[in-house]
Amino acid sequence: MEGQGHSITHYKQYPPNVSKIYSYFECRRKKDSQFSEVVFFGLQYLLKKYLTGPVITEEKIQEAKLFYQMHFKQAVFDEEGWRKVLEKHDGRLPIRIKAVPEGRIIPRGNVLFTVENTDPNFYWLTNYIETMLVQMWYPITVATISREFKKILAKHLKATSGSLEGLDLKLHDFGYRGVSSQESAALGGAAHLVNFRSTDTVAGLLMAQRYYACPMAGFSIPAAEHSTIISWGRNREKEAFERVLDQFSSGPVSVVSDSYDIFNACKHIWGDKLKEQVMERSQDSCLVIRPDSGDPTETLIEVIKILEECFGCSLNSVGYKVLPSYLRIIQGDGIDLTSVDEILQKLSDEGWSAENMFFGCGSALLQKLNRDTLSCAFKCSYVETNGKGMDVYKQPVTDPSKGSKRGRLSLRRNSDGFLETIERGAGKPEEDLLVTVFENGSLVQDYSLEEIRKNARLQDEELNPILHNHEQELLHNHIFNGIH
Amino acid sequence: MSRRPEVRSSLLCDHTAGRVAAIDRGEHPSGGLESLTAPLEAAPSGRHFTEVTHYKQYPPNTSKVYSYFECREKRTDPTKSRKVKYDKTVFYGLQYILHKYLKGKVVTPEKIQEAKEVYREHFQDDVFNEKGWTYILEKYNGHLPIEIKAVPEGSVIPRGNVLFTVESTDPECYWLTNWVETILVQIWYPITVATNSREQKKILAKYLLETSGNLEGLEYKLHDFGYRGVSSQETAGIGASAHLVNFKGTDTVAGIGVIKKYYGTKDPVPGFSVPAAEHSTITAWGKDHEKDAFEHIIKQFPSVPVSIVSDSYDIYNACEKIWGEDLRGLIETRSADAPLVVRPDSGNPLDTVLKVLEILGKKFPTEENSKGFKVLPPYIRVIQGDGVDINTLQEIVEGMKQHKWSIENIAFGSGGALLQKLTRDLLNCSFKCSYVVTNGLGVNVFKDPVADPNKRSKKGRLSLHRTQSGDFVTLEEGKGDLEEYGVDLLHTVFQNGKIVKTYTFDEVRDNAKLKESELEELLH
Repeated sequence: MEGQGHSITHYKQYPPNVSKIYSYFECRRKKDSQFSEVVFFGLQYLLKKYLTGPVITEEKIQEAKLFYQMHFKQAVFDEEGWRKVLEKHDGRLPIRIKAVPEGRIIPRGNVLFTVENTDPNFYWLTNYIETMLVQMWYPITVATISREFKKILAKHLKATSGSLEGLDLKLHDFGYRGVSSQESAALGGAAHLVNFRSTDTVAGLLMAQRYYACPMAGFSIPAAEHSTIISWGRNREKEAFERVLDQFSSGPVSVVSDSYDIFNACKHIWGDKLKEQVMERSQDSCLVIRPDSGDPTETLIEVIKILEECFGCSLNSVGYKVLPSYLRIIQGDGIDLTSVDEILQKLSDEGWSAENMFFGCGSALLQKLNRDTLSCAFKCSYVETNGKGMDVYKQPVTDPSKGSKRGRLSLRRNSDGFLETIERGAGKPEEDLLVTVFENGSLVQDYSLEEIRKNARLQDEELNPILHNHEQELLHNHIFNGIH
Repeated sequence: MSRRPEVRSSLLCDHTAGRVAAIDRGEHPSGGLESLTAPLEAAPSGRHFTEVTHYKQYPPNTSKVYSYFECREKRTDPTKSRKVKYDKTVFYGLQYILHKYLKGKVVTPEKIQEAKEVYREHFQDDVFNEKGWTYILEKYNGHLPIEIKAVPEGSVIPRGNVLFTVESTDPECYWLTNWVETILVQIWYPITVATNSREQKKILAKYLLETSGNLEGLEYKLHDFGYRGVSSQETAGIGASAHLVNFKGTDTVAGIGVIKKYYGTKDPVPGFSVPAAEHSTITAWGKDHEKDAFEHIIKQFPSVPVSIVSDSYDIYNACEKIWGEDLRGLIETRSADAPLVVRPDSGNPLDTVLKVLEILGKKFPTEENSKGFKVLPPYIRVIQGDGVDINTLQEIVEGMKQHKWSIENIAFGSGGALLQKLTRDLLNCSFKCSYVVTNGLGVNVFKDPVADPNKRSKKGRLSLHRTQSGDFVTLEEGKGDLEEYGVDLLHTVFQNGKIVKTYTFDEVRDNAKLKESELEELLH
């Protein structure tokens, strides 16, 4: 339960006789941001792993004392304070956390969770656990971006095929090697699984299993990678491909085909030398060809044209071209929100259905994001000193968007049906959508991935872009001209 | 099914401190997904799913797979023109991965069983290489028959050179090389943090030298503020330790735990911090009591430096009226070892810094140093910790120089840009197979995609050498055997489950320090 170095010194800095510090977390509104709403996810992991049960022990207090003595070159560590937690509360944190249910979709600029101490002696604890709780930015941001991908994929899939079948397998998590640590892989991987069920990030599955009660949250297919192709030598790419097909004759298989020349591989190897073997495969054991270099859109257009020439295609019920069911393509290089939209748009312009495509996303899904992506912030909004409550806030003249909310907060649905945050303790408890999830060392709510997935599923309005525009505008205006 | 006792996180560090205790008690922690403390923490399950299926895809009678890692050069870059080139990279972080995930007994019968079940579910098919893993368990007591050779940690090596190689040492386990790939590729992160941090050190060194004549305090000029902005606790530890290769100021405590546990230093701790306020400790006093908050805090820490965030309401008013007038007396009595450090935290970084310096320069007596630049009195300094990345850092120090402010006046804090806003693409980190032995014959292999020459990989067995002129060169196709270029700079660090060479953090820092020649280059 590390704090940030200087958090250790904060207990000395609050006004005398402070008895409560109440803070909250939000994804602040930011003008011109492409993300107007967020998926709330990941708190349960942090609670279960780091905050539940007796987290303070005498051993840890001693370690910390020694450590901070050296780190600050002086004694600033509040040994007595921490020992009191141990003695009075058995090492359990006297903290209450209220939060939006996981998986819920909440517009920017709203309170997502609040933290307060439940014992007046431990007012400094709220701020101490801040740094760890701010790391919520990560699973929230991954889950949000993953869902944005889903909206784009749904839009194109609906338009070019008439249905959303297979949507939740359309975006494969390729991010394992590109994240900064195993733990991030697990957390990010799990966040993606809120929206999809295809992943190569093992750790995410295990995270979902252990912290969100989901025995098997996602699936994958056998796949080649460059080493398994190039190890055959430059002149034996066909043999390498053939081997993969033979080894995995039932079930889909993905074969990276750009080790030397993707176009040659498609035209002369898949489309000619191995054409029969490809055609023998059933829909349930299709070959998925994977380009992995060059401009994604251009490469895909050329690849799909070559495949059309070699294998033919058919028209689906809405008049778009589909490759034979034994053949598909996965693009796993250079994919982000912009490129996936461009690719599918271009394909659609050329008459191709999104059914032909799968996508893999690596760093854009799990690494190429940061706390500023959704402007995540944790701020103190209310304190009690000498028995009196006071609404507090920051409001820097140099940046109004960094202003924070005031007083005790609640989240409710207003009469227009929009979610809004009520400040200054003015909210009615019965309308409050924030739920106590953690209290005095115990987990009070336990969400399963199944529930979370339900909460996070795409709504009809999001699936139907034409009808949705007007409401989107309303919501957009509501958020960005919102209450403060 | 044996379940390891839950290792609770400590006040200092997450699992790392707990595991120190475990080792002291003689328990031998297994590798794998430690941080999840899940039953499936196993080498078999802990990776990229598709790797599970690769053992079936290599040519028949393959008895060795040899791969390497590099930060590829980017020869053609049509879409972007980066201001910062990153010509060289700092090699760091392998030792952490080896200790934490690859050494010792990483497989047990239970783990094999569970992995088999997971994969059956996940692929809806029997693809798991049970035979292969059982072989490792039986013949090697669960240790990985792999050899890894690497440049010494902390080495600063130009892009496009081999940094480490991985090969299987048992013909039955040719598939293992590729299995460990995904975990090893995550070395991109500590390498990238350490490299980006070092490039910023060069910028700071240049301007500090130019505006003050010496490099005093350089190691405290860029403070790690990144804890809250990283994606996980584990990332915090790794990233913070990578920054500490170059600097000594950090608020990301976890980094210190990583260094102590996986590298070791002669000093008790490798990184330091100072007491600091944050917005809640100011705003909790109420809007009309900012002065009381400031006064209280500054009095709490009379004899060490104390950093006080001053923009909760109006940074300029805080500097001019509160620090500059109301509390001036209190500040002037502070010693040079215990300055007040004023912290702006919003607005355009360069403009804000210049305006804050201007105001403080009016309220407090500045002096001109030997280079002709202005310095605030030693009891007051500034720290800019908002919006700092390698580009804005350059802008700010250049702007200060132009306005005749010495860099002695300022320190920087960096959070997201230091530890999070980085990807594997920044330095094009890549792990590729370059050599295989099939039917007893060695074959040099490589990829060379027609649509992207930058993605071409190296061929054959590789070694790293120094030329006569002191440059680095990677020899391919086993040419290092010819001994034309002297010794191979790659050393075996891991062999069949054992770590055979380690580096202390002091060695790492020594290897990574700025060279005289680099400083000279900077000044011209």
